[in-house]
Amino acid sequence: MKALLIDVTRCVGCRGCQVACKEWNELPAEKTRFFASPKGYQNPRDLSSKTWRVVTYNEAQTNGRFEWVFGHLQCFHCIEPSCATACPVSALQKTKEGPVVYDPDRCLGCRYCQLACPFLVPRFEWDKAIPKITKCTMCADRVAAGEEPACAKVCPTDAIVFGEREDLIAEAENRIHRNPRGYVHHIYGKDEVGGTCVLHLSNVPFEVLGYRTDLPKISLREYTKTAMQVVPHVKIGLAVALGAVSWVIQRRIRNGRDEKNGSSSGGES
Amino acid sequence: MKISRRTFLGATGGSALGTAVSLFGPQKGRAHAAQTPPMKTVRTKQSTTICPYCGVGCGLIVSARDGKVVSIEGDPDHPINEGSLCSKGMALYQVAVNERRLRSVLYRAPGGSRWEEKTWEWAVPEIAKRIKRTRDATFRREEGGRTVNRTEGIACLGGAALDNEECYLYSKLARALGVAYLEHQARI
Amino acid sequence: MTNHWSDMVHADVIMIMGSNAAENHPIATKWITRAKEKGAIVVSADPRYTRTSSFADVYCKFRSGTDIAFVGGMINYALQNDFVQKDYVLNYTNASFIISEKYGFDDGLFTGYNPASRSYDKSHWAYELDGKGMPVRDMTLQHPRCAFQLLKKHFQRYDVDTVCNITGAPRDVYLQVCRHYTSTWAPDRVGTWLYAMGATQHTHGTQNIRTYAILQLLLGNVGLAGGGVNALRGESNVQGSTDMALLFHILPGYLASPTAADQSLAAYLASNTPRTNDPKSANWWGNYPKYIVSLLKAWYGGHAARENDFAFSYIPKRSGDYSWISLFEAMYAGQIKGLMLFGQNPAVGGPNTNKEIKALEKLDWMVAVDLWETETASIWKRPGVKPADIKTEIFLLPSASSVEKEGSITNSARWAQWRYAAVHPVGNSRSDLWILDALCKAVKKEYAAGGVFPEPITRLAWDYGTGEEVDVRKEPDVHRVAKEINGYFTQEKTVGGRQYKKGEQVPGFALLQDDGSTCSGNWLYCNSYAGPEKKDNKMARRSKRDAMNGIGLYPDWAWCWPVNRRILYNRASVDPTGKPWNPKRWVIRWNAGKKQWEGDVPDGPWPPGEKHPFIMKPDGHAWLFAGNLNDGPLPEHYEPLESPLPNMMSRQQVNPAIKLWHKDAPEMNAVGTADRFPIVGTTYRVSEHWQAGAMTRNLPWLAELVPDVFVEMGVDLARQKGVQNGDRVTLETARGKMSGYALVTRRFEPFRHNGKIVHEVGVIWHFGYQGIVKGDSANVLTPHVGDANTMIPEYKAFLCNVYKAKGGAS
Repeated sequence: MKALLIDVTRCVGCRGCQVACKEWNELPAEKTRFFASPKGYQNPRDLSSKTWRVVTYNEAQTNGRFEWVFGHLQCFHCIEPSCATACPVSALQKTKEGPVVYDPDRCLGCRYCQLACPFLVPRFEWDKAIPKITKCTMCADRVAAGEEPACAKVCPTDAIVFGEREDLIAEAENRIHRNPRGYVHHIYGKDEVGGTCVLHLSNVPFEVLGYRTDLPKISLREYTKTAMQVVPHVKIGLAVALGAVSWVIQRRIRNGRDEKNGSSSGGES
Repeated sequence: MKISRRTFLGATGGSALGTAVSLFGPQKGRAHAAQTPPMKTVRTKQSTTICPYCGVGCGLIVSARDGKVVSIEGDPDHPINEGSLCSKGMALYQVAVNERRLRSVLYRAPGGSRWEEKTWEWAVPEIAKRIKRTRDATFRREEGGRTVNRTEGIACLGGAALDNEECYLYSKLARALGVAYLEHQARI
Repeated sequence: MTNHWSDMVHADVIMIMGSNAAENHPIATKWITRAKEKGAIVVSADPRYTRTSSFADVYCKFRSGTDIAFVGGMINYALQNDFVQKDYVLNYTNASFIISEKYGFDDGLFTGYNPASRSYDKSHWAYELDGKGMPVRDMTLQHPRCAFQLLKKHFQRYDVDTVCNITGAPRDVYLQVCRHYTSTWAPDRVGTWLYAMGATQHTHGTQNIRTYAILQLLLGNVGLAGGGVNALRGESNVQGSTDMALLFHILPGYLASPTAADQSLAAYLASNTPRTNDPKSANWWGNYPKYIVSLLKAWYGGHAARENDFAFSYIPKRSGDYSWISLFEAMYAGQIKGLMLFGQNPAVGGPNTNKEIKALEKLDWMVAVDLWETETASIWKRPGVKPADIKTEIFLLPSASSVEKEGSITNSARWAQWRYAAVHPVGNSRSDLWILDALCKAVKKEYAAGGVFPEPITRLAWDYGTGEEVDVRKEPDVHRVAKEINGYFTQEKTVGGRQYKKGEQVPGFALLQDDGSTCSGNWLYCNSYAGPEKKDNKMARRSKRDAMNGIGLYPDWAWCWPVNRRILYNRASVDPTGKPWNPKRWVIRWNAGKKQWEGDVPDGPWPPGEKHPFIMKPDGHAWLFAGNLNDGPLPEHYEPLESPLPNMMSRQQVNPAIKLWHKDAPEMNAVGTADRFPIVGTTYRVSEHWQAGAMTRNLPWLAELVPDVFVEMGVDLARQKGVQNGDRVTLETARGKMSGYALVTRRFEPFRHNGKIVHEVGVIWHFGYQGIVKGDSANVLTPHVGDANTMIPEYKAFLCNVYKAKGGAS
């Protein structure tokens, strides 16, 4: 299974990846303004139907050293994606190559996936007459043709690399092993929600980058499935359906946090 | 770790020419054909270029179909950037395909409040007349008994975004006109 | 750059000072990151913690404009601790040369200074010559007047405490920088120095670079793989445009443009061709006559002959300074009536833009050639003016983009690389080549009927395959231009026993002639297009074969001037017997069996020891002591024109050799003082925008990333000023004011100088009143004052104040 390894210690924040994503996927620019919070450089503010990948700019003090670290928001491409389970029409699917892709022609616009996703990744085309859900596809068309995703190909420092998931995990472990003081000893995405196909390495705690650190190590899929089963069909009131899914997922996450004895909150801003 | 940056261009002939036709279609192992359309660069004419922004000189590949640019990406064969680019280089597509690009000769009369669209056939001789008028009015053959053959009435600026061949002709033309005030980005 | 981009991978220490490579040359970080993987130490020295600092091992802050003190202290550290590669310094630099008795230095002034003209008599700094006209040397380096001892004495004053007081650099971090960098004195270690406009845009910019060069020479880092003094150039072809001499003071190939004193070719050659009495000096510039005559032949063809001094009189003769600031001062004074602009936007990019825009308004006519409607072309549309008040007639010509035409550009590493037309130009836009060809033909037509001194125009050799009439369908033959730049034989000629036919391309500049039998539009490019066919265009080569030293020179990828030499001064990478200082990453080496050099193209074919390695210097040695500069033979710290502090080194507050425009032309040239403007201001760029912004603020994806001007300021200063992150703030200098969003950050810390706290703020300068995203131009703040040698404006350090403005946080 293919995956991306994002090593934020190698990222210089040039945002070639953000533009590469737009270029390859033909995503239009958003109208933006100077974004003061947290620190000016980040733009757009968040993922959207037009922006599938965002570099974040984080100032941190760790081990007595000031750091400016660049985080990466994009779809994590879960091994067992709850978005795909939540989708009533199977518009979202996990491909065996790794990417979680979607078929816009099938999408009903119900937004179950949005609530099912622990990373708040799928975004809704609010400005369209018949809005659909959109998100990063790990450039599935490129991957299928034997190419790297656009973000990985463009990265000057190989902060984003593409490869077999197990190779990338071995590489990540090797990097931590070789430079134990240079990294937080954790591969983000190796185990989170049962494992994802986007893995992260960092030199600062992942909360500093705005990543959720309260996620369980097992897949949320079973819970999503349960939630979907208690909803008769989409025609039932949307609010009820969404509420049910959301309730199950959030409870699952809460439980996970409890298991960790109430460790810090984090969460995407 | 070693990661693959498979080349778009063929390894030999196409590369040498700097232009080629991409025949890479969808390959085996595609699980969701319905959801995964072929790459947009399939069956495009591809040619190499060098980034017009900073002085690093990164290579890019322009994919065009029916005379229109479809995509511009980093050139994996290029020894400096090996396929990678920064945000500016990666945005080169929007230089090629951009409604804000100037498409015709524009003229603004003295004191005028709008641009007027003009033709090259009108503009080129009109500009030549002004060059001649100003040069003739300001040309200095001598200064303090010494031959100087120059004009200080016309200034020429620019050039760092031009090709070498263009810079060379600009330099040659400016000197032939006797222009003393010839400057560009390199000074500032 | 002496070296090239992927060569950075070979460095043991990478010093990034006066450059923010991660933001302005992001692909450099590919090679720096790889060097780091191999254990290299990266140092970022910058007033502000930048994206470059974010991946450096050591970040050291220092106040803008104090570079000479900073590096001067490093030079002193190397000399005091004997971290000097002695063999290199002794054999390859002018360390051992004895300097004239007239040389002296006191209280910030070198001998020979004339305060009335603000200039030096450089004869005070000359070498002492023996009876044969050879420089006198002391190979023990003990003579009190040898360059080495003078250097040591000069920089002794730059002790660590003094340096940290001037620069505001933290002492412990500064010492770390000194230790790391000077460790490269060892022959098996090498350091590279990367700089850009952060170093050059000062009233002492040239001397900033001199400090880098001196340190690199003392450490023996020039000529080696992973070494060198590397200017990271900011525009894709600013190297090529400089090579082609779009500057008042040079002709193509760095030949001097003639002055009024050069009344004949002979007089010109007498004043420009360097001479040496040292048989071991290659004195490459001794070839001056061949290069200038070949250039004149390229320009005037059959009209350039020995009988008419090769049409030398057709070339304009200058009297004084016509550089950027002078040009705009002359325009402001009403002297310049017409302006042609090719892809440049001074209304945003020039210094003191309030004045430069006023100057543009005084033109009778302007021809702007661009892809976009720039601020300069639309000065009449700018906020707050009535178009009717601006009488300038403006032609805005649409030009083709880089993917719509064919030709070469030269990168920062001197690689000329060929580009192809992928599609036709959009709309009615045309290549700049077409526009120049059309304009020249139209002007020739005007002058065919007569005019003032028409010969330089009517006789100009100009035939690029489009006929005599202007025709929008006929694109000039760019290969024909490239072949002219390379040069060809104008008649049958035998050189070195080989006969060359008329019209045959000259294979390399060593074969250029001074008798008119060759032409070459730019001798430096001779060898780039060495045959008649397109396959002979070396700039289009794409082979990844490496040279036998395996250090990534890629000799068959594109083409590099001079004669495909990838690392300049590479004869200094070997000891006097031809053995590499560092055999693990050797650049060239002497093969005694084959009696030839291997590896890179050497700086000349001579066997080791036969010639001195720095062949472009008449004495063959690199200059620790440089007697040719306008502001002194050794770098000395002076404060920027506007500074909040007195000069702690001497009573000379500013560089004594700069032109003071605020005194000579006071209108709109006000200079601020620290009582009203106590904060140091600087300007810079971001990764997502480029230069004056037309090429990025018109692109939606880039406009999205950085949509507004922002002003970076430290937490303490913001607190004092009552400014919150995201507030609108106004920056003001004696020359103008502008607004932007405040970005309050720990990345900009105040400086402490002798106990006094000085704050600095910085602002991006890409913005203007056109484009998808608009904003105030930061260059309304910057002054009309330039470096004493290059006249590059001092954009990087000025005095300002900052206030909270109206408008809220985003």
